[in-house]
Amino acid sequence: MSAIREVKFLRELKHQNVIELLDVFSSKTNLNLVLEFLDTDLELVIKDRSLVFLPADIKSWMAMTFRGLEFCHRNFILHRDLKPNNLLIASDGQLKIADFGLARDFADPGYKMTCQVITRWYRPPELLWGCRYYSTAVDIWSVGCIFAELMLRTPYLPGETDMDQLKTIFRALGTPTEEDWPGHTKLHDYVPVGQFPKTPLRELFTAASADCLNLLSKCLIYDPKRRIGAKDALNHPYFFALPYPSHPSKLPKPAKKETGPPLEEVDGNVEMVGSGPAVRANPPNKLKRRRSSEDFGNRPVARRLDFSK
Amino acid sequence: MTATPAPQSEPVASTSSQQSIYEASTQYRHWRFSQEELANMRSSLNLDAVSAIRHAFENDSPGSSTSVAFLNAEEEHLLVKLYVGKISQLCGHFRFPEEVEATAVTYLKRFYLKNTVMDWHPKNVMLTALFLATKTTNNPISLESYASHIPRTAPSDVLDLEFLVAQSLGFDFAVWHPHRSLWGIWLDVQTIPDVSMDDLQKAHEAATTHVRAARLTDAEFVYTPSQIALACFSLASPTLASTWARAKFPSLPHPPVLDVLEPIKAIILRNGSPPDVEAVREVDRRLRLCKNPEKIVGSNAYNKKLQEKEKKAEEKRKRKAEAARIAMEEGDPFGSELAKKAAAELDDDDDDD
Repeated sequence: MSAIREVKFLRELKHQNVIELLDVFSSKTNLNLVLEFLDTDLELVIKDRSLVFLPADIKSWMAMTFRGLEFCHRNFILHRDLKPNNLLIASDGQLKIADFGLARDFADPGYKMTCQVITRWYRPPELLWGCRYYSTAVDIWSVGCIFAELMLRTPYLPGETDMDQLKTIFRALGTPTEEDWPGHTKLHDYVPVGQFPKTPLRELFTAASADCLNLLSKCLIYDPKRRIGAKDALNHPYFFALPYPSHPSKLPKPAKKETGPPLEEVDGNVEMVGSGPAVRANPPNKLKRRRSSEDFGNRPVARRLDFSK
Repeated sequence: MTATPAPQSEPVASTSSQQSIYEASTQYRHWRFSQEELANMRSSLNLDAVSAIRHAFENDSPGSSTSVAFLNAEEEHLLVKLYVGKISQLCGHFRFPEEVEATAVTYLKRFYLKNTVMDWHPKNVMLTALFLATKTTNNPISLESYASHIPRTAPSDVLDLEFLVAQSLGFDFAVWHPHRSLWGIWLDVQTIPDVSMDDLQKAHEAATTHVRAARLTDAEFVYTPSQIALACFSLASPTLASTWARAKFPSLPHPPVLDVLEPIKAIILRNGSPPDVEAVREVDRRLRLCKNPEKIVGSNAYNKKLQEKEKKAEEKRKRKAEAARIAMEEGDPFGSELAKKAAAELDDDDDDD
């Protein structure tokens, strides 16, 4: 099913910031996807402590993410699993959105969708509360989390369970009021999770510019209807202000060879590192494209997927 | 293709914003033809199939093909059309949404632009196309319950052809349908002042019937979904259709889209009804006699083909083993450049069955 989804959407999407499906073929009982070869992903870049990010670098990655996402949304496709690990990076520095195994087209008004999507740390509160009618705003929340993670160099909202995820979100951004988010208490799985005060983003993101925090806060607006859209995000002053985004080829990249496991986290988050985010709807044996293709040099690599389901 | 997101006035600019979304779709790029192209494709496909099957008959027992009356392209098309109708019946039975039905119909029609009914009977392909459509349109149903609701059908009957169908479709699973466009027109018209909702409702219902009729025709290979939808709407109510077009293009006294409608309407009125069952039954009777024997499990020709395939595979294994042996003897466990190359070549043709 997820293979079929991936093929369906990638056959239609052709954009600089979306992974390219070069070919599909079947042999015996396997479906093989030939995907563009991409060196690394944003998660590895974030975790590589030897790299220093300039504000312009972050702006460049964000611009590429929003462009790719805007293209998906323009084609009526929700990605539903955005996270640094699914933002792959090509040898020329271009960022590409990958892994459309959970993607789907927009549902018609009144048709339910599953809320068990998006890796927990990047999942918006409406899905955690069981909202079955949603739209592009869910992807934008994920991008907001990625945006914050690029600045913090550690996952912004690492909840340990679905319930803890809500708490983590509210601890960071304050518990939403009826005014912030009309009707949220009527969501299907709504449970109150305690009152947390709002802290200005400025307190955590001390080095960020005002434009930057403004865009971040608009990605993390509780009310999905008021959350910024991908196109408006691209038109946000942040992308027009100095410093201009770095040229993709100038962006920091991990050294060519992977040397052992990534460095241990040191931000008081050590207990999170072992377990990692829970990916409920994803198969646990999801192939890591970048690793499995390491030996193949710079050419497309076929990926085998089970087609029988 | 500038890579820099740096200063630019149009941040959304991308390689693909120049063309419309529809023009970027696989439907537009791979599945649009002129009527002549369609006719040529079908007749040459039919001629190739007939000569291949004649050959298979002759291989089986010489002289046996002379008495066989093979199907021609029109007869093949007639049979496919019958099974397009069957998809609708099945969808009604399962209460599948219209999206599933429309997608399955498109799959079936596309399949027979690449294959002949003499190789693959539409009865089976139809079941697979429908099952595939439930998956690609996000309306999954378990294979067991799907097969159990269809008489004389085992899960394997559905699954066996799935690869073949997916491959014939070129893995282009996404399809855009006129019924969606019609819905858009219906919503649009409601915003136009002074339109009677009763008239609109009636027109929409009639247009929906025409959209369903259009599924039996080749319209979707020639025209865009929105053109077909407007043509159907215009069949139902010409005045409302032109009211919509004028509201949509207020600067044009005569919106050009209205000129495309007549040929589409003609196609729908001419070909939009189910085929005569008696005629199809006759075709199906003849099909039983001219099916490709190589595709019938248990027939001589089938077994022969299977043996040939196995022999080829066996030879290939031997050649591979030989290459590996040579490599081992040369002392390098990973093989010399040459042996590696030979092995690589052997690997290459592994995947098109």
